[in-house]
Amino acid sequence: MDSLDALVAQVQGFSGTDDLLHLFSLLKQSDELLHNHAPRLQYALSSLDPAKHSLGYLYLLEVQSSGTLSQEQSENFLALASTFLNVCIAEQICLAPEKFNMVCRRVKEQALQLQEPLRAILPLQAAIRKLQPSSEFLTAMHADFLQMCLLAKCYKASLSVLEDDIFEIDQKRTGLVPRDFLLYCYYGGMIHIGLKQFGKALEFFQHAITAPATVLNAITIAAYKKFVLVSLIQLGQVPLFPKYTPPVVQRNLKSCVQDYVDLATSYVTRNIADVKGYITTHEDAFKSDNNLGLARQVIASLYKRNIQRLTQTYLTLSLQDIADNVQLDGPKEAELHILQMIQDGEIFARINQKDGMVSFQEDPEQYNTSAMTMRLNLEIHNIVRLAKKLTSVDEQVSCDQVYLSKIGRDRPRYETEDFDIVPQKMYTNL
Amino acid sequence: MSSSSGLTFKLHPLVIVNISDHYTRIKAQSGSASPPPRVYGCVLGVQTGRNVEIFNSFELHYDATQNVLDRAFLESKQEQYKKVFPKYDVLGWYSTGSDIQDSDMLIHKALTDINESPVYLLLNPAINHAQKDLPIAIFESELHVIEGVPSLIFVNASYTIETVEAERISVDHVAHIKPSDGSSAATQLAAHLTGMHSAIKMLNSRIRVLHHHLVSIQKGEAPYDHSLLRQVSSLIRRLPAIDSSRFQDDFLMEYNDTLLMTYLATITKCSSTMNELVDKFNTAYDKQNRRGGRSTFI
Repeated sequence: MDSLDALVAQVQGFSGTDDLLHLFSLLKQSDELLHNHAPRLQYALSSLDPAKHSLGYLYLLEVQSSGTLSQEQSENFLALASTFLNVCIAEQICLAPEKFNMVCRRVKEQALQLQEPLRAILPLQAAIRKLQPSSEFLTAMHADFLQMCLLAKCYKASLSVLEDDIFEIDQKRTGLVPRDFLLYCYYGGMIHIGLKQFGKALEFFQHAITAPATVLNAITIAAYKKFVLVSLIQLGQVPLFPKYTPPVVQRNLKSCVQDYVDLATSYVTRNIADVKGYITTHEDAFKSDNNLGLARQVIASLYKRNIQRLTQTYLTLSLQDIADNVQLDGPKEAELHILQMIQDGEIFARINQKDGMVSFQEDPEQYNTSAMTMRLNLEIHNIVRLAKKLTSVDEQVSCDQVYLSKIGRDRPRYETEDFDIVPQKMYTNL
Repeated sequence: MSSSSGLTFKLHPLVIVNISDHYTRIKAQSGSASPPPRVYGCVLGVQTGRNVEIFNSFELHYDATQNVLDRAFLESKQEQYKKVFPKYDVLGWYSTGSDIQDSDMLIHKALTDINESPVYLLLNPAINHAQKDLPIAIFESELHVIEGVPSLIFVNASYTIETVEAERISVDHVAHIKPSDGSSAATQLAAHLTGMHSAIKMLNSRIRVLHHHLVSIQKGEAPYDHSLLRQVSSLIRRLPAIDSSRFQDDFLMEYNDTLLMTYLATITKCSSTMNELVDKFNTAYDKQNRRGGRSTFI
């Protein structure tokens, strides 16, 4: 007991910035001690202030939440952890990222256990911001945070985190593992589907598919299934794998998702009856992946796509003809569809109700407003910033040992005086 | 020795262009024979009181071996020019070279029957990048007493360049047609944009000076100058030149078009960097055996 009190006193004493490292090493050694005094931890926690003694508080919290907790204990833990995550000092917890990640994971688990994912959202968001050196870094909590938002159906809450472009990954500072990245992409894509932003969802799923890998991952397969469906809704076809997809994924992925690939091929024929039939026959497969809702949206998108193709052939068309062309049930339904599309901005048309004619029009955007100028300016600035980052990453890769050795190895094929760029010893080392 | 006659000389750029064109033509025709021959011609202009303004020039036939000037040609040319430009007189003659030569004085004296005191314009065709001024010198003849013998010698006279709007446009055009050494469209565009940029920068700095001065007048630090303020006010009122809504629409449309092109250019550049990056990453970290037939790249 005395040793615990002594530890508490040390934490209180050393929490000034100069002695933090000293405190950190002390805490690492006293892990055993903390486990032994588990029942008295509550008392210790109450005597510490999470805003000032964040590091010590973190260790105590972590030990307290290990193992199974009763209902009351987990309530208690959740309350303490929420306040802690909101008020802790970033510099202190950055010294122990793994512990921090573990505490956050426990928060998530307890919230799930209590069936209240809503309670974990704000604390996890605060945790992300505290651990991130800047908003461009990915942390291990991103995936958990997004999962909570999905379960609680609070998509809007996650937008601020989702909208940050991720450029940097630093394993030492954030304690990240590849699984976190894949989960982040997967959940991020699902949230975008929930918000009906199919373009962004496609981006996220594509990241999950093209992440470097040596074996196929269940997350990748699930992501690919959603990717196929979303790309049918958004683009009308499934795009080919980009160049940077790992070859193991390229070879094996399609064979794991045969149903979806067949759906894609039948979609391309633009025959609504076929697609509908296919989905009803394979309903179980889609349901088991929780993709039935998406599959229904695929059918809806096929109607829209057919109507859009009509705009390219006809200038005006009667509602009855549209209904026949697109295999809808009648002019009323065609009118409903077209009204919805005009509202969403997917089509420019006018419906003349007297004779039931629809006239298709051009995009009225003339590009002659100053609002458009501002928007273009903003976009150009974004692209220039992105280009700068790209060139810096490009330079980094060019200077990389592995890369230089690989191109150095091809050299004996050519005359030696042609390429002096890579010195001899670069590739003989391997 | 500088001139003491008190005449002010004004030179138009057309004369300079004519002389250099004449010289270049003769030089090209004579092939690579060195040294390039001298060219000769007459200058025309108007002399009103103390002002001598040289507007135009034409070429003369001069036989250097026999030192004979083709007088008949000169007179016929003079008559033709008199018909077109009745106001212009033959004011003197020009030649090329780096310095005055003794034979020049003979030609000079030969022309005194047309004009009592002709001027002599000398163009130095040697290209000297360090030299900032024009390699043109104007000489007059004066009677000086040297070693007890009165003789005519050449004395240097100062001159200024005078341009009319039409001349400015044509000189500008000629200057742009000949880029330094067959540069491509890209460098020409860059040169054009650089010129535009420096012009705008200079305009900006001038306006800033004016603004600073006006602010200090407002604060009371500088004296209140009515004429200066009137000038500034008239300058400001010159812009915007047009301001109707149709102009705004068209202007914004063109502006947005240019922005769209810039956007497209930046996206293309970005995509190409991305492509290279992906290729490099693939060669570096791809476990597959792709070495067969892959060429090296930087």
